[in-house]
Amino acid sequence: MCDIIWCKKDFEGKPCNTINYLDPYCFWNWEGTINCAECGAVYYIHMIQGKMYRGPEDRPGEKPDTSPLYADKPLEGYRFYGAGIPDRTRPFECLPRHIYLGVPDMVKFSIRNRPVRGWRPQAPDGGIAGSYQFNWDLKRLSPDVYEEYQQKIKNGEVTEW
Amino acid sequence: MAKDPRETRIEDLPGPKSKEELEEMKMPYEEYCKAQFDPGNEFSKPQSLKGIRWLSTTMYIFTPHSVSNLAELGADVIKVEMPRMGDPMRHCAPFNETYLYPLHDSRPMTGTGMGYLNANPNEYHITMDYHLPEMKEAFYSLVKMSDGLTECYRPGTFDRWNQSFRFLQEMNPRFIYVWGGGFGYGPKCFGGSYDILGQAHAGLASVTGMHEYMGGHPLKHSNWCIDWYSGTQITFGILAAIHWRRKTGLGTMIEFSQVQAATRCLGYAAPLYGRFGIVRQRWGNWDTQLCAHGIILCGKSDFPDAENPQDRLEARYAMVSAFQDEDWKELCAITGMKDLMDKYKSNNERAEGEAQIEIYAALEKWAEDKSRGEVCKTLQDAGLLAEPVCNDREYYEDEHWRMRGTVRWMDDPIFGDILQHGTYASGLLSKTPRRLFWIWRPVGADNVKIYHELLGYPTKTIEEWYEKAWL
Amino acid sequence: MAEKRDIEINSRADTIDLMNPDIRPWPVTPPPSFEEVMEKTYAKRKAEDFGKWCEDNLRYEYCWGKPEALQGFKFVCCGQWRMGNMFCSGLLCEAGAEVIKVEPPGGDPLRKLTPFGREEYKLESKITGAKCGLDFLHEMRGQKSVTINLETEEGRAIYKTLCSQVDGVIDEMPPGYMDSIGLGYRDLCEEMPRLVYCNIGVRGTWGPYKDKMSKFGQWTLEPFGGCANAFIHNTGFPQDQLPRGKGGDPTRSGVWFADFCAGEQAANTLLAALYWRDEMSGEGQFCEVSGAECQNEILDFDISWYGFNKSIKARTGAWDPNLNQYEWNPCRDGYMMIGGQTDRLWYRIGMCIERDFPQFGRLIHEDPILKEMGGRNALNMLVKTYTLTTRWLRDINRTEAETKLLEYEIAAGPVLFIDELSEFPHFKYRPWVCTIDTDHYGTILFSVSPNAYAQATPHRTKVLGRPVGYDNYEILQKWCGIGQTIVNEYIEKGVM
Ligand SMILES: [Zn+2]
Repeated sequence: MCDIIWCKKDFEGKPCNTINYLDPYCFWNWEGTINCAECGAVYYIHMIQGKMYRGPEDRPGEKPDTSPLYADKPLEGYRFYGAGIPDRTRPFECLPRHIYLGVPDMVKFSIRNRPVRGWRPQAPDGGIAGSYQFNWDLKRLSPDVYEEYQQKIKNGEVTEW
Repeated sequence: MAKDPRETRIEDLPGPKSKEELEEMKMPYEEYCKAQFDPGNEFSKPQSLKGIRWLSTTMYIFTPHSVSNLAELGADVIKVEMPRMGDPMRHCAPFNETYLYPLHDSRPMTGTGMGYLNANPNEYHITMDYHLPEMKEAFYSLVKMSDGLTECYRPGTFDRWNQSFRFLQEMNPRFIYVWGGGFGYGPKCFGGSYDILGQAHAGLASVTGMHEYMGGHPLKHSNWCIDWYSGTQITFGILAAIHWRRKTGLGTMIEFSQVQAATRCLGYAAPLYGRFGIVRQRWGNWDTQLCAHGIILCGKSDFPDAENPQDRLEARYAMVSAFQDEDWKELCAITGMKDLMDKYKSNNERAEGEAQIEIYAALEKWAEDKSRGEVCKTLQDAGLLAEPVCNDREYYEDEHWRMRGTVRWMDDPIFGDILQHGTYASGLLSKTPRRLFWIWRPVGADNVKIYHELLGYPTKTIEEWYEKAWL
Repeated sequence: MAEKRDIEINSRADTIDLMNPDIRPWPVTPPPSFEEVMEKTYAKRKAEDFGKWCEDNLRYEYCWGKPEALQGFKFVCCGQWRMGNMFCSGLLCEAGAEVIKVEPPGGDPLRKLTPFGREEYKLESKITGAKCGLDFLHEMRGQKSVTINLETEEGRAIYKTLCSQVDGVIDEMPPGYMDSIGLGYRDLCEEMPRLVYCNIGVRGTWGPYKDKMSKFGQWTLEPFGGCANAFIHNTGFPQDQLPRGKGGDPTRSGVWFADFCAGEQAANTLLAALYWRDEMSGEGQFCEVSGAECQNEILDFDISWYGFNKSIKARTGAWDPNLNQYEWNPCRDGYMMIGGQTDRLWYRIGMCIERDFPQFGRLIHEDPILKEMGGRNALNMLVKTYTLTTRWLRDINRTEAETKLLEYEIAAGPVLFIDELSEFPHFKYRPWVCTIDTDHYGTILFSVSPNAYAQATPHRTKVLGRPVGYDNYEILQKWCGIGQTIVNEYIEKGVM
């Protein structure tokens, strides 16, 4: 295999069958050892211009230089290990927040604590042929958020910036 | 002049004519600018393009931005989207995290992603499946009462649908028709394009990023900035055409290739190759013509304890600029690069490749035990130019942009509290400033306003069309 | 076509001129003919009629026989060092306006810049002998050059007279400089109420973070704009893809990109203000654009995203964080860009790649997460998709990849270098880069205006480059009524 390592080592009594993805920019020209995200087997690889110049060779017992960012298991419904799982995958540090959702963030208030329509579902409010007016009647459409907002005002959490 | 030339009148003398004018003339320049642009009071002033009406059958960023500039300057814009789905850009959100709801009432679980932001502000959003023969009448009516249209379909598509320039020109000889797309007429006419394709295909990627010998690869400019930048250049074409039409009464068609616009900003790349056969390469964070004038990595972050990784890990880069000889000498004196000071005396000597490698390595060595803030402060205190590489939070928090009104909060009529960095940032005008009414509207939000109030169709017809998904 | 000849090379100097288009013509291979394009492109799509209409009405070569949109508009441009004023006035010239570039007697310092300090890459005017750097030359697109020393009283008087003749002024001097010498907007507007005046800056000419000067008078230049507005922070490969210090860093644009953003918006601002003047009010006004702001305006949603949930945009290299596929990755002979995120395009990309690399089809199309558009865009899925795509790309070169992907109507394109794009068939057909014959500098290859393909008033580059002060006599005579004797005196005295 080339810039994926399909690990077939015996692991817990059956073949590991995990694909470790060697992401292109990191590994395009790279030499060192890398672990399998599932069974932890260590492989030595030397890649030049995206091609496996040497390896993957087994290096049992060695400490890996790096880990894949992503690995999955095609025979088990593509169960996967995403970035940043200790001892399995390497972290992806360059992210916009300390958390990574990857799914819609349900936001009701902006960072200065005023209502913003960032959550679903929204109560229908359109007229003929999907037309909308030029206001958002928060009190009528989402009374709970309106209440929460009143509380925030009272607590002095609503700011200018 | 007064009737009697011996009489001295204040209005005949040079200089201020009234107390107010005197005050204005005496004002420090900064205050004068602030008073002239008066951020926050845009709505007390008229709009530059009052009376212009534009149609936008556009998608993504590039062609929408050619129109959003007009909308911010005061043109009335009608954005036409495909029924129910809307512009595909509505389905794009950073990291799939950031949506505003609803897309429209019949899809309460779907939102419009922030990818749509800044590209279609102030516009009336209608839906129309305009390739249907049944909708032609409405489409043509809009053409007859508009000044122009921007579209982005594959070449020939609007022609097949009898709504290309050669058809519309007959209905409205004043019509300004813009096609914006990847390539335009020629061998790759039907090739599709995106921002990133322009960056790759047109050479911009080949000059951006760290050099191969530094371990780098061609790098994409963040964001879809070639789309935006190209769209702005279409706006220039449109405005010039509008000026021409004032004189002649005649419209035009503009065919604009987004990919080509990326080649346009390559500066000396084309003439250098054309004359000397030298192929411009990437040069990372340094400058090919000036030295020292580059971004260096500092040893420590300014915010080592911040929770956000962008603050914690990345606040380590500083731009240092000392390419004039005196500045260079001072830089060397402060950073202890005495030997380099003697070695590279002129900018031309410093700008040589090997010299740059040596100089920036020495600067980074000097900065190894310092934070970004320390590096900037040390150099600034010595009267040199050095600034941090700021992130989005720092831009938001900087008093400068807030004072200039180019980052501000807005109370959107439908979506609520939105932090805004478009519109006002594209240029300040003292008498006819740009302004923002709303960020966008739900899909089809203005169907009644346009089909009924402008075109006069009965609401019943509109409802019928809507049911059939013609709208 | 130049004839073949033998050349003896004894030193590097002998090779310098070998690529000169007068010796080695551009393009090296001729572009496809109209008939070829008709047959291979338009006819294939059954768009013969439309294709012919486009070529008849929009062709670049026909621009010379058509009128110019901004004919009659005049501008004065007073700026140095930066691309903003150059690009702005270049755009105006290409659209037919007349622009006077006011330079100090020594010339705009931008003229002196040359890649890696190589004097040999400057071009020398055949008429005046003055040398000029290529960046300046390339953006000097019909502007006329007049030298004025604004530090002298006579110089300021000349400048004021020039301003009295124009519709607009472009000022890219340091903050408050023109105002301090009595030539700013508030000094001119009273006598010239119709004047539209536009400042250009990097971060702006007023406000707490306005453009600075070093204590020795060095200007703030790009990429300071990109540093201030988060563009640079947001651009670059993440340290997770390349080591920090070796590409995995925030990275500037290869060009002074914020300057270009400022220049084009300055041109738009001027035209909008002039429209309001001519159509409605008769009044001029004061305007300002800055590179940092104009570029920030086009950073998508970045600042708004922070206001939404405190996200600070992180750099993502050559991959787009919002779309899959939408990236370039390395291939056998360079890098290949592939785009297509809707289901329709996504599956076509898959079909194309699995033809050569069946495993791609299996691993991509079987995966349940990748079946859904939103899910595909997650970071983990980008890693998987692009690793497998590159596994395909590494064995083929750019042309092969492009041909294969275009068969499936996928937006795809190679990362091209300037030599490659200058010979790319579509680019030389239109052409996008083209040679221009200049009286001063010989034949020059340049980037054509993308607004040059229009039915009525295409923009066009008529002149490229101009020696410093070349238009002193003409303009002083015509605009100020000052004859050559006095001009000569001024030149002697250092006024011009
Ligand atoms: Zn394993």
